[in-house]
Amino acid sequence: MLRAPLLGRLLKARNGRLLLQIPFLLVAVLLVYDGLTGPQLAPQNLATVTVWIHTRGLVIVAALLLGNVFCMGCPFTLPRTLARRLSGRGRRWPRALRNKWLAVAAFVAFLFLYEWLDLWAGPRLTAAVIIGYFAGAFVLEALFAESPFCKYICPLGTFNFVANTAAPTQITVHDRDVCRACPGKECVNGSARVLGCGTELFPPAVRSNLDCVFCLDCARACPYDNVALAVRRPGQEWTAGAPGDGVWPRRWDVSFLVLVFTFAAVSNAFGMVPPFYDAQAWLAGALGLTSEGARLALTFVALNLALPAVAGLAAAALSRALVGRREPLRVAFSRFAPAFVPLAVAIWLAHYGFHFATGALVIVPVLQNFLLAHGLTWLGAAPNWSLAAILPGEWLLPLQTAAVLAGFAAALFAGNRLARRDFDDPAAAVRAFVPWLLVLLALAVAALATFNLPMEMRGLS
Amino acid sequence: MALRKARWLAWVALALALLLAGGCRRAETTDQAPDVQLTLSPDPDTLVVGPLRLDVTLRDASGAPIDGATDVSLRGDMSHAGMEPVLATAAGQGNGIYRADFTWTMAGDWIVTVEATLPDGRLKVTQLEYAIQPN
Repeated sequence: MLRAPLLGRLLKARNGRLLLQIPFLLVAVLLVYDGLTGPQLAPQNLATVTVWIHTRGLVIVAALLLGNVFCMGCPFTLPRTLARRLSGRGRRWPRALRNKWLAVAAFVAFLFLYEWLDLWAGPRLTAAVIIGYFAGAFVLEALFAESPFCKYICPLGTFNFVANTAAPTQITVHDRDVCRACPGKECVNGSARVLGCGTELFPPAVRSNLDCVFCLDCARACPYDNVALAVRRPGQEWTAGAPGDGVWPRRWDVSFLVLVFTFAAVSNAFGMVPPFYDAQAWLAGALGLTSEGARLALTFVALNLALPAVAGLAAAALSRALVGRREPLRVAFSRFAPAFVPLAVAIWLAHYGFHFATGALVIVPVLQNFLLAHGLTWLGAAPNWSLAAILPGEWLLPLQTAAVLAGFAAALFAGNRLARRDFDDPAAAVRAFVPWLLVLLALAVAALATFNLPMEMRGLS
Repeated sequence: MALRKARWLAWVALALALLLAGGCRRAETTDQAPDVQLTLSPDPDTLVVGPLRLDVTLRDASGAPIDGATDVSLRGDMSHAGMEPVLATAAGQGNGIYRADFTWTMAGDWIVTVEATLPDGRLKVTQLEYAIQPN
């Protein structure tokens, strides 16, 4: 793609990323402005509508159709150059934190705060989140040499990293020999003109979109024009690699992140249906938990951390016992983690796609209202509040069901491939996969049941 | 160097534009008649998804009904962004009551904003919150 006549030149131009970041920055500034000074009813404010309806919906669609364009255009990293200048080379991110545990914690904490503070209902809070992102990225860039905010903390980036393992594009190189002979490794180390990879990925070694923000700094820095943004089979990395040596790292943190990403897809949707509110009421009565924050914290720890840990460890132990193979539990735990991604992406798509499909056009009257509040009639003299859905309501449940079933089918396909890759004996491959299959099935059924329940939009109590 | 300067100028221009824009925003509609009581009575009063009738009652400080208010409008917003609002206009029924047909289109938290132009020309604005259950 980087050698395509116009697109390639545009993407690889020294300020190519800026072309995407500046519009994103202008949007972010507009959202902060309207969030802080505009109407404080979420459906009438650009900040809440754009962030919670459009961005969430489009992030997942972009991951499936294009790649990690939201990290590519992320405006939060724009002050990076200034931060780098202030910090010089900065310190190294602590070794103990160079993993995904902090990312898991930040991801779950963000989901908890979203629910507890009713972020979707608060324009000012939404603006504060955007400002917090800018501040967090700036401070960490100023303090440390690599881009720790993107790689180890950012909840949205964590979401994008996992979701974009399904993407049809990936960074790679044209000729590995060129990289072997390259003395400067500018793609990672940077050059006088261009920064190297912020997340410290070495393009010839890249086999996964995990940790790749698609900034294309590697392509810009490469003196040999050897870096490529290649089109690939979506999700190719889930099952690629040799037996016992897959593309995905056999690490506790990465595997647990994927499980959390999947369980959170279900629990995030479950947070909008009546049984969730019944469960909260039960917790209040049975355990005497009068604090909403305490109830939600307990629920989130249970559904998004404890449940995936218990289910994953049980499935891994059972899988290992069924095949009778002596291997570390970590290996059994991580073997089928990639198979969870397609189901997770499908559930997130079904949930966020629902909100996008029911409210995408709301941006028109909200923008009209914003302009009119500033005396501008560019989009008409009165907001057209009847604009909202882009799809008929009766289509949504069938589409959500189809998405979840397709995700489950893809998870089965990936799981089967992984099992056959790692086990020569077909019967052993089946036995190894069965416990994980049960977890996947339970998640798919839970998602379908949730989407079949009437949705409630809470956020005042 | 020129590009760097241009970038900084862009940031400064953006900040200035924001400051100016902040001063240009028209003030939000505010309640000009805090002495007037506005109550809203749903009928049926079981707060579940579906159609209903909403009675707006206007009374002055002494409790006397206010008739003759114009442009009595209701707007229902869900707490969550992205839902189409429910808009309705209420017609006078006498004795300070104005009636509108309304619909709770989804379970969840709703904010109903009622606006009425009083006979003395002041604008009465009230927001009320409702928790609607599934039908």
